[in-house]
Amino acid sequence: MKLSPPQWLMRFRSVIGLVAICILAVVFSPRAFDGSIIFLDVSNLTDVLRQQAEIGIIALAMTLVIISGGIDLSVGSLLAFSASLTAMLLVKWAPGYSPAAHMAAAVGIAFAASAVLGAVNGGVISRLGIQPFIMTLATMIGIRGLTRWMTDNSNIDFGFGSDTPARFTTIFSDKILVIGLWVAAAVVFYVLLEYTVFGRYIRAVGENERAAGYTGLPIRRVKAAVYTLCGLAAGVAGVLHAARAHQGNPNDGVAYELDAIAAVVIGGTSLAGGKGSILSTVVGTLIMGILTNVLRLRLIDSNGELMIKAVIIVVAVWMQSARKDKA
Amino acid sequence: MLECKDLRKHYAGVYALKGVDFCVQPGEVHALCGENGAGKSTLAKILAGVVTPDEGTVFMDGQPIVLGHPTRARRLGIGIVFQELDLFEHLTVAENMMLGNDGPAWVRRGAMDAFCRPYLRKVGLDISPRALLGDIGIAAAQLVAIARSLSMQAKVLLLDEPTSSLTEEAAERLLALVLQLKQAGTGIAYVSHKMKEIFQIADRVTVLRDGELVSNKPAAETSIEETIRLMVGRAVDLSARIESQPRQEVAFSVRGLCSSRLKEVSFSVRRGEVLGIAGLVGSGRSSLGETLFGLHRWDKGEAACGNRKFHPRHPREAIREGFAYLPEDRRSQGLFLHTSVRHNASSAVLNRLSRAGFVMQGEERRIVADELAQTRTKAAADTLPVSALSGGNQQKVLLAKWLLPHPEVLFLDDPTRGVDVGAKADFYGIIEGLASQGKAIVMASSELLELLRCTHRIMVMNNGRVAGILDTASATQEQIMALAAGHQPAASLS
Repeated sequence: MKLSPPQWLMRFRSVIGLVAICILAVVFSPRAFDGSIIFLDVSNLTDVLRQQAEIGIIALAMTLVIISGGIDLSVGSLLAFSASLTAMLLVKWAPGYSPAAHMAAAVGIAFAASAVLGAVNGGVISRLGIQPFIMTLATMIGIRGLTRWMTDNSNIDFGFGSDTPARFTTIFSDKILVIGLWVAAAVVFYVLLEYTVFGRYIRAVGENERAAGYTGLPIRRVKAAVYTLCGLAAGVAGVLHAARAHQGNPNDGVAYELDAIAAVVIGGTSLAGGKGSILSTVVGTLIMGILTNVLRLRLIDSNGELMIKAVIIVVAVWMQSARKDKA
Repeated sequence: MLECKDLRKHYAGVYALKGVDFCVQPGEVHALCGENGAGKSTLAKILAGVVTPDEGTVFMDGQPIVLGHPTRARRLGIGIVFQELDLFEHLTVAENMMLGNDGPAWVRRGAMDAFCRPYLRKVGLDISPRALLGDIGIAAAQLVAIARSLSMQAKVLLLDEPTSSLTEEAAERLLALVLQLKQAGTGIAYVSHKMKEIFQIADRVTVLRDGELVSNKPAAETSIEETIRLMVGRAVDLSARIESQPRQEVAFSVRGLCSSRLKEVSFSVRRGEVLGIAGLVGSGRSSLGETLFGLHRWDKGEAACGNRKFHPRHPREAIREGFAYLPEDRRSQGLFLHTSVRHNASSAVLNRLSRAGFVMQGEERRIVADELAQTRTKAAADTLPVSALSGGNQQKVLLAKWLLPHPEVLFLDDPTRGVDVGAKADFYGIIEGLASQGKAIVMASSELLELLRCTHRIMVMNNGRVAGILDTASATQEQIMALAAGHQPAASLS
């Protein structure tokens, strides 16, 4: 079947947004002494990717949650939890393993614990039928409390030198590893959503839960799984965050959930559920990152940055809905 | 007083109304009859200002009026009480009545109560205006809706199946109120399926069929029999009957099934047999299908599918045992409207189409294409969203979805609801074809002629019970309707 132009445009609409923002970035980017465009500098572009990797990884899992018709507000707190737990395990725990094994154990435990907390979200939402917004609002508060209590509300510094914690920060803040993890996660989530039965179930539950029930789909398991994945993703982001910040700070990650949700909706995923894609979330994350980058290169203060972001979110979502009406 | 001339309305190429005239005089009850899809609700929606007609004019007291918005219709003195009440159960009676009434911007409870009381008294309701609507029961809510229309000074009142969810006693009271309002000079348009009611109160009877006006006579000059004949009298071959014969083995049986909505339901279906289920809305038709499919619990009784015990706790188990349930409302229960035809069709068999969790997409494409051909579905491409298809084709996709698990027993809940005449004929052929393949089919339907056309036996349900099981070959519509209404056949239509 032939695709008419609007449909053809529809398919790539979020990518077109990305291209537009890139062009704007090039135009507005300051120039170096030699006249080259700073925005296009390889180290600048990879910086954008690394900066966005944490939000990017969370946004991938958030996409599944939102497509399933839910929302997860607890990911910011979970990120702080995972970062603090990793720091505690590395700094305050001396298991006598080899440094590599110690690191693996710390990271593994942080991942697992975050996934378990995500599973608590999923379990309560799917079993008790509590609205996702309310349940994850509760765990957002609760996990923040847990993290502060666990760390006595103090930062845990990794220190410098050649001991295990310091080496951890070097390895896990490496640009290639961080960006690589994000790319790998994007591929995994893409395949999960587009090619697996689980992905089909997520869309079905999000589009029409009632019909999913009449079709005999495992609604509870699907919901439990997406929140568990979201917890895990926040855990991964937390480990990266600890390495980049060189500390475990129980008060970090505030409002990260909103950035992740913003990235998802800018890509064009509907909060009503059922519709959305991983590609568009990646695009949404990049749009946010490039915007921040250019504004900072131009030394616009962070308050102005927030106001411009607000406008971009509304415009992006409005453009998505306006195009949809015409089609 | 209220007069409509040559109203036309079509939805996506299908005419819902093809030039209908209708009028209501003061102090007259004018009944509007017709089967599902005849155009009654479209007419009601036009009068309510919810739907704009493509053509035609509405006159009020001889002046042409433009409706187009619910508020306008109300201001012009047209009050509508919909079957699905447009009331809010979390608001109080008075708050419900005030909505849409022009009142002061500030809520003053005392004034509201004082405003509402006379109208509540008029409809014979002795309840506090401050009671929550959700607490007073459906019959009282029905009366509140009428009181609300009266409070808006409605000169014409349209009642859409007002007694469909009422007990007999409550229905009698409501009919008495209608007569009282009529004597007070209100014009009443009365939509109902219940012939007995209509001939009890109506002065004039209009019959619609397939969007056309087929008759408009004073009630005294017509009869129940004639009205029914006019309602269903389309070019359906009444003598056509299912030809394939059931086989001997019992495919599915239920004994003494009890649940919160079902009482002692027992029946059996043989392979190759089509068992019809007749009954009014709320008679337990759909509850039976949903319960057997594992969507509701059942407390007592047993069922067997083939020679295995059958008691699924989840639809997945029912599907595994070879039972499929095609739900009544394809839009909310059956299909994922924005999802492609292909993904809709395969949605119930994805677990069989998976290898290591991945969907075998080639296999999926192939089996879906086969099944869509079987059900004669017309779609430009199976990658289109199912919402792009006509109602009949959507229903065929739904049927394909439930044939793909290869069930031995197929429970079809009103499979031709909202489907045009041509597609209905297709469905009858498909159902007969499935029966001749040896499937056992249970088919619930609101249309008696359809049941007479397609089934071998008809089970009539009333209030969660089996009121009787009739042989289709010798059953008559009167018998079925009498059983469905909970009467003895002899007293049915007198």
